Parts: sequence; structure tokens; C-alpha cells
Amino acid sequence: MKRYYLSILLVAFCIARIQAQQSTPPSSSAPPKPFAKPSEPAQAIVPVPVGPTRPNGKIQNSLVRITVTEQEPDYRAPWNSGAIGRGVGAGFVIDGNRIMTNAHVVSNSRYLTVERDGDPNKYSAKVLFVAHDCDLALITVSAPNFFKNMTPLHLGGIPELESVVSAYGYPIGGERMSVTTGIVSRIDFQLYTHSSIDQHLAVQISAQINPGNSGGPVMQNAKVVGVAFQGYSGDVAQGVAYMIPTPVIRRFLKDIEDGHYDRYVDLGMTYSKLQNPAQRRFLGLKDDDRGILVSTVVAAGPCAKSIRTGDVLLAIDGRPIASDGNVELDGDRVEMPEVVERKFKGDTVKLDIWRDKQSMSVKIELTTVWPFLIQGHSYDVRPRYVVYAGLLFQPLNLDLIDAYQPNDLRIRHFFDYFVNEQIYLEHPEVILLTNILPDSINTYLTPYRGGIVDEINGKKIRTLDELAKTFAETPERFVIKMVGDGPPLVLDPKQVEAARERIMKRYNVIAEQNLEEQPIATPPEDQKKI
Amino acid sequence: MRRTAIIAFGLLATCTCVVAKKEPALPAATTKPKVVSLVRVNVTGQSYDYFRPWQKRAPFSKRALGAVLPQGRVLVTADLVANQNYVELERAESGEKIAANVQVIDYEANLALLEPVDKKFLDGITPLEVGLDTVVGDRLAAWQLEQTGALVVTEGLVTSVQMMHYPIEIGQFLAYRMSISMQYRDNSYTVPLVKNNKLAGLLLRYDSRSQVLDVIPGPIIMHFLKEAGSEQYRGFPSIGFSFFPTRDPQLRSFAGQTGKPAGVYVTSVDPNTSTVKAGLQVGDIVTAIGNNEIDQNGNYVDPLYGKIEFTNLLTAHAYPGDSVTVHVQRNGKPMQLNLTLEHRSTKDYVVPPYNLDQPPSYYVLGGMIFQELSRQYLKEWGANWVKDAPQRFVYLDRFQSELFPEGNHKIVIVSQVLPTNATVGYEELMYLTVTKVNGKEIKSLADLAAAVKQPIDGFIKIETEEDPKQIELDAAEVEAEAPKLQQNYGISSLQRLD
Repeated sequence: MKRYYLSILLVAFCIARIQAQQSTPPSSSAPPKPFAKPSEPAQAIVPVPVGPTRPNGKIQNSLVRITVTEQEPDYRAPWNSGAIGRGVGAGFVIDGNRIMTNAHVVSNSRYLTVERDGDPNKYSAKVLFVAHDCDLALITVSAPNFFKNMTPLHLGGIPELESVVSAYGYPIGGERMSVTTGIVSRIDFQLYTHSSIDQHLAVQISAQINPGNSGGPVMQNAKVVGVAFQGYSGDVAQGVAYMIPTPVIRRFLKDIEDGHYDRYVDLGMTYSKLQNPAQRRFLGLKDDDRGILVSTVVAAGPCAKSIRTGDVLLAIDGRPIASDGNVELDGDRVEMPEVVERKFKGDTVKLDIWRDKQSMSVKIELTTVWPFLIQGHSYDVRPRYVVYAGLLFQPLNLDLIDAYQPNDLRIRHFFDYFVNEQIYLEHPEVILLTNILPDSINTYLTPYRGGIVDEINGKKIRTLDELAKTFAETPERFVIKMVGDGPPLVLDPKQVEAARERIMKRYNVIAEQNLEEQPIATPPEDQKKI
Repeated sequence: MRRTAIIAFGLLATCTCVVAKKEPALPAATTKPKVVSLVRVNVTGQSYDYFRPWQKRAPFSKRALGAVLPQGRVLVTADLVANQNYVELERAESGEKIAANVQVIDYEANLALLEPVDKKFLDGITPLEVGLDTVVGDRLAAWQLEQTGALVVTEGLVTSVQMMHYPIEIGQFLAYRMSISMQYRDNSYTVPLVKNNKLAGLLLRYDSRSQVLDVIPGPIIMHFLKEAGSEQYRGFPSIGFSFFPTRDPQLRSFAGQTGKPAGVYVTSVDPNTSTVKAGLQVGDIVTAIGNNEIDQNGNYVDPLYGKIEFTNLLTAHAYPGDSVTVHVQRNGKPMQLNLTLEHRSTKDYVVPPYNLDQPPSYYVLGGMIFQELSRQYLKEWGANWVKDAPQRFVYLDRFQSELFPEGNHKIVIVSQVLPTNATVGYEELMYLTVTKVNGKEIKSLADLAAAVKQPIDGFIKIETEEDPKQIELDAAEVEAEAPKLQQNYGISSLQRLD
């Protein structure tokens, strides 16, 4: 699994926002916005594909419209439950009375309803599994007869380049199902913007995909070849949409067979190409275009014990690795991590390595490399924080960066280099003083805002839990050393205790801390028909 | 897990060059123009190209005013004459010109003294005395010249006197802030500000939108002139430590202060400085410099300006070599430290804050370009360099005193790799910091130049902090390819070491 840092160009074609729908009500006499109008102009440019008129059968029998009420956590006031929003996405029925959709459709959901064609009812639904790292989710409806008249769809393979595909969903522009067609434009690794750190295989298609298409099936020959999920916003690039291909979908379905989603696994290393002849001779390698150089081995990753910087990887699971990092897999040349990408937590991978001009091989048991997680978005969890003396402490992660947009060089460095410089070894959580709720006890502390907590009373603070535990003690004073050359932040616990109630009351701080990344609320269990 | 490196060569010229250089077409003078204590200064120069460190950039030209001082000298800002090739003085009323030399330049205080090759050139011009008595509420006149040579006077009000950052951001210096509605004539640099026919200061910067003008004040100019008169110009003393106000009673109590609130809390002491030798420690509260008490905001009471930051005592009022008594409280106990002031040279920084009028050092090896990290290099990314330059380097620069407390080395970087037969496969590498070459630690470009001459079994092994961690070159190939590399990329010399 390759990790990328956040990209701003791609947008997950999330659920069409309710506001957007209200602005273009289907019954309204106001003309629909040009891009949403499903009529002549587009077809005049793109030739109508040749083939049967309904090559994929009656998709209405498999497609559902998902309406979601979500509550997004507020990282700036983490004790609040967050703003409530509503949106619409698509989903489709697969075997086992399950409905597949995108993770971003159901993320942070508080209430889900499902509708289907020709049925006036709204059915309440619940999330079965959600995989934020590959933007897929399974939901179900427990209303007894819901699945009776639904036709489960079956998965196909990876469609050929230039072959025609059809995308189904509920994009803006109307209430009922919409179909668009296009061709397969590119098959490549892409950043999945939902987590904004994971990179997997994705298929680019020229079919129009818009907000509301998310989670809908992309079909070819009556089989699902992908799930529509993201694209570029119109002002960046047009006609560039992506779907999650079936290898990724199948992997997700396999992962959850044991009733639990384990996430993708990773080698936890970086590598460099070995294309320089002098470097190859120095390392004692043959002139055979094989091997890549191990650069950084993440200490928290599965390779930490058996692989080291300067090793050359010659083969993975017996497949030779070319000097540009590619391996052959199912007849295709793919990047080496794809071999790992298809495996699961606890699986092993065999690496043939070249170390000190000797060949050897090692077996690696694969696992998730946790330090990467702070660099991606998290969902369905309450933000963790501690409020003490009106000072708000929060662990650094991508959601926090998005909420505060800090310019501070040190914060950005700790975020960007958290893994590469192995900052997590000293600070598994980077605790920031993100905000100050003004009170007479902290009125002089404004300059400390944005600081990173290093030590309290000489003790290294490694996690938010340690911080909370330390603040629960009552020493004569707390001397908080921030990272870097700055003055210590000094607090008197007695004064803090005296100010506690008034600060909580004044700022309506419902709880002084949340240490658990627990799910906020489970979607309603009672599956009553509404 | 690769990050796509961002190629952002900021090639924007950062200077506002005044290109128009019209000769003033003087009409037949009916009245004799008033002779003012100003001359025009025309400068052409070239800055060094840190992206191609063997060459200079295209020439620029700037036109400005200089204030004529006694003894045939002309005062301008250092900004104006930095990286100059040729400086010329021009009589305002006649257009007569003469070449001039830069006698003394202080980039940190942004001041320079020029001297015409023939001092007689300034005959007949009444020199300006430096006035030191400007205070808040005074009106200063900005002197500019019309194309005809006639004086244009704009008046403004001094609204505050405070310590400010100068363009080279090392410490802070005294400055006046004025409110003035001024229009630039054909001289964007070095506008003199005058009070009672005395030079009150020189323009430091002007924001035409807010109509705020900052002034390099008389006392700083006087300090510069006095020091310029000494045998060797040393510059202004450096503070040598970082501090924080002690407004917070909790901090004062922690530092052991029980009496009345006073002084600043020492947060760090610069390595290898006289401040360390004087015994100043982190956690000390500096309560007075000499007889001047420092309050909990870091201000002392100046007889002229009232409350102003105490650093003024160590810059405008003191010279390198001076000894001052620093009163501190350590764990509540009063102590006195004797501090001998010194100027901190750019050479004493791990990442030098500026490098002007001097060529950058570099070393080209087989197509790999090695340089020492400097802020001058980072500034090649333009006005927004803090955001646009490679962030790791900006971080190293910003936190250098924290990251390298020992202080006595340089950071050698691979700035880019030119593709050659020796560097196949390395073309995309850039912005790497070098740790070792052939097993030897690299603490300067000179270290690198020495280490590459001792290959291991015919290979030069370069180790870097960042991925790929190691790079190998064939020493014989590098040597054989050198002439071709030079010719192919037009590199006049493959190395320049100090």
C-alpha cells in the first residue's frame, strides 16, 4: 500500500448535499444547471455506444438510493457533537442481503435510510462493515421483505481499456436513477481521497460521475466492474472519474469474512530504484536489471527486525523485482507493493534480499503500520482531547490539521515527518496545545498556543492518556516543557481546580476529556420501516 | 511510498529594479536650482544564481538617492548596493557623474557608505549632520528629487519608536514608524528623512497602501558611522540569547522571583558566544542591563523615547568589545554577570542568514551539485520562500540553534542532479542533506571536497539523511566525464570553495 500525502485536487464524489438538491428541485420551473441536464449536448459529443439498449439488465431491481444523516466531529470544539448534515448516495444489492456502497457515503452517519425504485417506502438501514482505507462499506436493511424483490449483482473482472461501461446512481439533477456511459480510460494506482493517504488500484472512466453517484455500480455485460467513488471537480479536469475496481472490492469482501475488517497491510519501508550502473557494481549486483534498494525501514512496521537500510530486495514471493520496482503479476507489470496489497493481516510474504553481497531470504508477517494512520482522515470516532485550565490539548492528525490549518513550521514538520523521521518513537502521539479558553488563570498563556507538549515535571509525555493521567495528579505545580527553545508553561493545580467549573460552564464544555476513540453512536438497531 | 518531489524553481527577480534611466532634460534655468544635500546614486549589479552557483544572474540597475555626509561620504541603504558591480554618483542639478566605491557596508543594519573616486565631486554640497533627537510626534520631511533636480518635500508624522526587524532578519533594531502620504519619484531606495535640516533617518520600507513608512533612525546611523570610523568595521553587538516576558506570575514563581515583577526569562543562550562565557543560563531572569531596569514586558525607560525594548541598550547604545553588567535573578538570587559584547558573524551560523557580495560555494561531482545550506539559497524561492522553498530546509534554518546546539558546522546539501553517464538513475534526486561521504562525516563543503578524493574500491559513496540514504558514483567515471559535463552544461568551474 503506497501512502501519499493529502491531495487537494481529487474530491470524493460524496453524497450530493441536500442543499444542492434544494437548489435544483426536480419539479422546479427553474432551468436545471447545464451540467446536470441529462440531455442532448453531452450525447452530441460522445458517440452513443453500439450495443443492446439495456446491456446490463434492469438495474433498478438492484440499485438503492441511500439517504444519510451524518454528524461531522468538530475538532475545534471537540466536546460538541458536531454539525448535522444530510446527503444522498447510491448502493447496490449483492449476495447475502447486503448492500454495497462507498465508505464516504455512510461515514459519520447517525441515521441511514434506503429507498428503491417503485417502492414508496423508506427503509432504515445499518452499517455492517466499513473500510475507510479503500472507501467501501456494506449496509443492510432488516425489513423482512426488502430483499425479496431485489436482484443481487455479481462482480466481474477488470474491464479492458476503451471498453464501454455504464454508471448508475442518483446524481444531482433529478430524483430518479440516472445512467451515464463512457469508456475505460486508464487503469492505475490512485490516491483514495476518503482517507487521503491510501493508494490502490483504480479505474478511470469517461462516464459522467457527479455527487450522488458515489457507491453506485459501474456495469459491463451485466456484471459489476467497479464502484463509482471519486473524480476531479469540474474546475480542475473534466471527464475524469474513478471507480473502485473489483480486485479491491473482492479483497474487502474477503477481509470481512471473519466478521471483522482488518485494514490493508504494509511492508513499512521505502525503497529506491537501482538503475545506476556504478551503484549496482558497488553493491555487487549483476547487470540484470533486478533489485531495489531499501531506504527507510519504519521501526513500527513488520520489516523492522529483518530488513535494514541498504538491503537490496531481489524478489517478493518468488517474483523477481525489476530495478524500477515493478513485478509481474497476472501477466501485468505492477509496482512491487501490489503483491502486498492483495494480502491480509497475518499473511506472510517472502523477500529474497541481497545484503553484504550475500543472498538470503526472509519471511515477513504482514500487519498495518500504525504511524501512517495519523496522516489520514479518521471517521466514525469522536476526537480525542483533554481540557485542563482552559487549555485544549489534542493529538496531531490530519483532521486536526484540516480544522486548524496551522502555518507553524514545527507542527507541519512533526506531521509530515512523523513516519519518515520516526518521530512516533518519542511521541507516539504528538500532543498540541491547540486552543485556549480564556480565563484569569490562563490569561498570560496565549503565546504557548500551537506548542507541542514534550515533558511535564521532567516526565516525557508520549500520549494523550499520559497527559490526562499526569493532570490527574496534584503536585505543587505543573511545569510543562514544550518542544523547542521556549519558556516552560507553569500551572498551579489548586488554581486550576478552582477555575474548573467556571471554565466548563462559561464555554459549555460538556466533558473535560475524551480519551477513547470509541464509535460515537451505532446506527439505530430497530429496523422499522418508516 | 514515494513522494513526488515538487520542482519549484522560483526564478522571480525579487528586486524592484528601476529600469527607466532618463537623463533629466533641463530647461534653460531661469532660477538657479536649490542645491540640496543629496546626490543621485545609480547602481548596476548582479546577484549570484544559487540554482546555478557557477554563474551570476542578468544585471539589474537601481536608481536612488544618497545623503551627503561630512568628509565626502554618501550614505545609502545596504539594500541598494548589495551585489553591486558598479556604483555611480550623479549631481542632481547638473547630471554630472562619477564612479564611487562602497567604503563600508552593514547588511544587518541596512546601511552603506559610498565614496566618490574623486572627493572634489561633492564640493559645494552642504553635508547633512545626523540628528538624534527625533521622538514620537515629530514631523519629518522625506526628501526626494524631481527629474529637474528640484527638491520634493513630503512631510509625515512619527507615530511610534520601536524595535523592528530589518530586511535581514537578525535581531531587531531601533526604528521610527511614520504615517506619510508619499509618492515615489524615480528612486525607490534610500529616501532621506530630515528634521531641522538634519538627517533624522533613511527609509527602511514603505507601504503605499497603509501609508506607513519605517525609518532607519539617526541613532542607528550614528552608531554605524562611528563604527565605520574604527580600523575594522565589526557591526552591531548581538544579543546572544532569547527571552520571554515574565508577565505570567506562574512563570515568575517557577523561576524563583518573589519580589516585584521585573525582567525577562532567558529561554536559550546562543552557542559559542560571549553570552555563554559570561555565564548566562536558561531560566535566568534578566532584570537590568547596567543601570537600566527591565520591566516584565522586556522594556526599559529610555530618557528620549520612554518605554522601549531593552535590546536597544545592546545595539544602538553599545559596541562590540564593550563590557556591560547584566543583572539576573537565578532561582530568586540576584547575581551580576559581566558580558563582553560581540558581533555574531554569519560564519558562526549553521545556516548563514545572508551571503551578499560573495559568490556561493559549491561542488559539482559527476553532475551532482553540492552546496552549503544558507538562507540566501532558500530566498531564491522568492518573497514567499518560507512556504515555497523545500520545507525540510526551511525547518532546518528556522530551528537551527535548537537542532544544532554545538553550532560549529554547515549543512551540505545535494541541491540537484544534472543527468550525465555517471548519474543515470539519480536525475530526480534533489534537496538531500549529506551525512557522510566515503565513510567520513561531512560538516562542510571542504570536508566533502576532501572526502571524495578518497574513494572506497573505486567508488564514491554518498550517504544522505533522506531517501535514498545512499548514492554511489564510479570515481574513475566521474573524473573521465568531468570535461564533458563542464562543456555540456556550460559550467565554468566544477567547484568553488571558500
